[in-house]
Amino acid sequence: MMSGWAQNILDIDLTSRTVKTYPLDMEMARQFVGGRGLGARLLWDLVDPQVDPLSAENVLIFTNGPLTATGYQTSNRFSVTTKSPLTGTILDANSGGFWGTQFRRTGHIALIVRGRAESPVWIEILQDQVAIHDAAHLWGMRVLELTRALGQDKHRRNVLTIGPAGESLSRIAAIMNDGERALARGGPGAVMGAKNLKAIVVEGKERPEIVDRERFKFMLYEARKLLAASPLTSQALPEFGTAVMLNIVNNIGALPTRNNQQTQFEHIEAICGETLAENHLVRNTACWACPIACTRISRTDKIEGEGPEFESTWAFGAQCGVSDLDAIIEANYVCNDLGLDTISAGVTIACAMELSEKGYLDSDLRFGRADLLAPTLEQMAYRHGLGAELSDGSLRFATQYGHPELSMSVKGLEMPAYDARGMQGQGLLFATSNRGGCHMRGNMLGLEVLGLPKLIDRFQVQGKSSYVILHQNSSAAIDSLVLCKFTNMGVSEEYFARVLSAVTGIPYATGELIQVGERVWNLERLYNLRAGITHQQDTLPPRLLNEPVASGPSQGWVSHLEPMLKEYYRTRGWDERGVPKPQKLQSLGLAHLTD
Amino acid sequence: MIDPRIYETFREIGRDLYAQNMVSSHGGNLSIRLGDRVVIKRRGAMLGALKPHDLVETRLDKNDSGVALASTELLVHRAVYLNTPALAICHCHPRTAIAFSLSRDEIVPVDNEASYLLKKIPVITEEFASGTPQMAHKVSEALKNYKIIMLRGHGSFATGQTLDEAFFWSSTLEEACQIMLNVKLINEPFIEYRGMSDSYNKF
Repeated sequence: MMSGWAQNILDIDLTSRTVKTYPLDMEMARQFVGGRGLGARLLWDLVDPQVDPLSAENVLIFTNGPLTATGYQTSNRFSVTTKSPLTGTILDANSGGFWGTQFRRTGHIALIVRGRAESPVWIEILQDQVAIHDAAHLWGMRVLELTRALGQDKHRRNVLTIGPAGESLSRIAAIMNDGERALARGGPGAVMGAKNLKAIVVEGKERPEIVDRERFKFMLYEARKLLAASPLTSQALPEFGTAVMLNIVNNIGALPTRNNQQTQFEHIEAICGETLAENHLVRNTACWACPIACTRISRTDKIEGEGPEFESTWAFGAQCGVSDLDAIIEANYVCNDLGLDTISAGVTIACAMELSEKGYLDSDLRFGRADLLAPTLEQMAYRHGLGAELSDGSLRFATQYGHPELSMSVKGLEMPAYDARGMQGQGLLFATSNRGGCHMRGNMLGLEVLGLPKLIDRFQVQGKSSYVILHQNSSAAIDSLVLCKFTNMGVSEEYFARVLSAVTGIPYATGELIQVGERVWNLERLYNLRAGITHQQDTLPPRLLNEPVASGPSQGWVSHLEPMLKEYYRTRGWDERGVPKPQKLQSLGLAHLTD
Repeated sequence: MIDPRIYETFREIGRDLYAQNMVSSHGGNLSIRLGDRVVIKRRGAMLGALKPHDLVETRLDKNDSGVALASTELLVHRAVYLNTPALAICHCHPRTAIAFSLSRDEIVPVDNEASYLLKKIPVITEEFASGTPQMAHKVSEALKNYKIIMLRGHGSFATGQTLDEAFFWSSTLEEACQIMLNVKLINEPFIEYRGMSDSYNKF
């Protein structure tokens, strides 16, 4: 018997209110490891790619990984996998905090939630007991109130929930855990809302087994050393949080501004990480077993809460033309409390601002209108007024007003804070991401901007696909362990492979771990193809392809996606229509899935 | 047509390898992986003075006319790319490291930087140690678990995402070996300053 993994899968059908437990298929565990990989493999068997994501036929699959709760740096994360109601693609989102650790301690590697409850319910998972409770009195509660009401106790009892946005089936609704952590992207909150499932509470006691404790201890020690030595993980992120990236990305002319009409924000000093730290930071805090502690607790005259992260600050800041940091912090807080994805919410509002400014939409929204951020978010979560239309993301909204080209999204998912014209590799990464415009499916920030591991030319086109593919695969592997990507800023994959070997007793070489990621990536691609999402969706908004940057360090550049994409398909071992070739699937052990 | 940015990187790294005595006038080679292709130094070109025409592009999975021009170590580079996630390879002849490879099966640095970055460098043996399939197999197998290895009596092979990175591992190894040599020359009792250093040989 292999060790390291929690051994059981918990399977709850809300329609029949039945609960089953069965053992994890260990061969599947070896191939897909956990987290995102295991979630994708289970979804492949459980959900027809053609189903309506908001129907009872869709499932939610919560997974942890073999490293979860071991105490290895950032081994606190967990994933949710489902079919996205925003994009129609396969979706996984992962989150930190404490819930994932506690979930692992219940002895389960995965929790599958199927069907739909007749009326609102919440689930309580204790070490040996699972209960489905009535949640009629909880329905309508906002996230922070609900989290307290169900007895959140950071290290003993952890609450995961949806807010009003999930209840109203907003396609950009997040699932929140531990109060203000989010499984944010792609609308998993709406899937949970459609199941009439308000919350999942976990309490557990099981300690993960580690096969080679001595080696594990050595890898733990080395990772501590590496993270302490990296200025990013030991200084920049703890001191300024992820918002430290605002100045850096703005300086190179790659910060999307006013719905990507510009690539530099003239008021960056007002909203950057340094200003956030100086004027609003109460303290920084950390997820379980994390020495980095990038989380901010920030304060304004009205609120005190977690965040805002880089992406949130950018989405409500530069992208909406807003330089009022108080309003940005409050918008972030409101999103957390309502259970909305901050990136999609901010970019959707920015899209509406441009539509309004151009006269395509009759609304008061204008770039710079900080006063309208929080009220608009409230409207979105409750589907009131214009919010009812904004609530399903920018692509549906812009299409409704006749201008889909003004949605800054890929496959319907709003892109984050990097303009593809100033970072060519990042553009290819967005275009080919399996869950749509996303920076967490691999990120070229390291190579194209930060010099991690070493700097490459951000405008280089030839050869970029190799880097993008390596980082996509690596990212899928890290998501399958499940670890925080920031760890990877100090600790490389060769260490992750060794710690995985120590915990499970199975020797994984660095390349084998990255191949796990490649396997996951190809399986996700196959799922999307079956859902009808093809190479035609591997693209970027026309603005990024056709409108050269007007000024700044990226002046004159558009995204040269086409040659990169051709090279990408070839390098991936896919045909010219982006379909994995049989020999590629064979080499990854996936051929039997397509027979 | 190879992007001038790519040539510039080869030129700079090649120049520095030569300047640091890591290769002889015509020794060593560099390559990068571009998807299903390899860009590698031309056979017999001088790393210290590469010209644009000294870079050869050839297929990764099979031969084409590029092999007639490519470095004699092409076979090794291909095997490494096919068996590891490497996107760049630096092969050079670091003199002190070669000297240590003649008496050890692994090199475990004692200085801080190499201990921190490399932990240990395995030394492998191959009788026909230049461009043979046997050598390609052994080197690529060893590089599955390590980012840099020594071929006994011949030189180092280092991998990375970029040439920069592969060069970094190479120069770190040579620096570590020079320090080890000096430690031997000084010949005084070693004062351990690192935590868990007894685990390095298990890395």
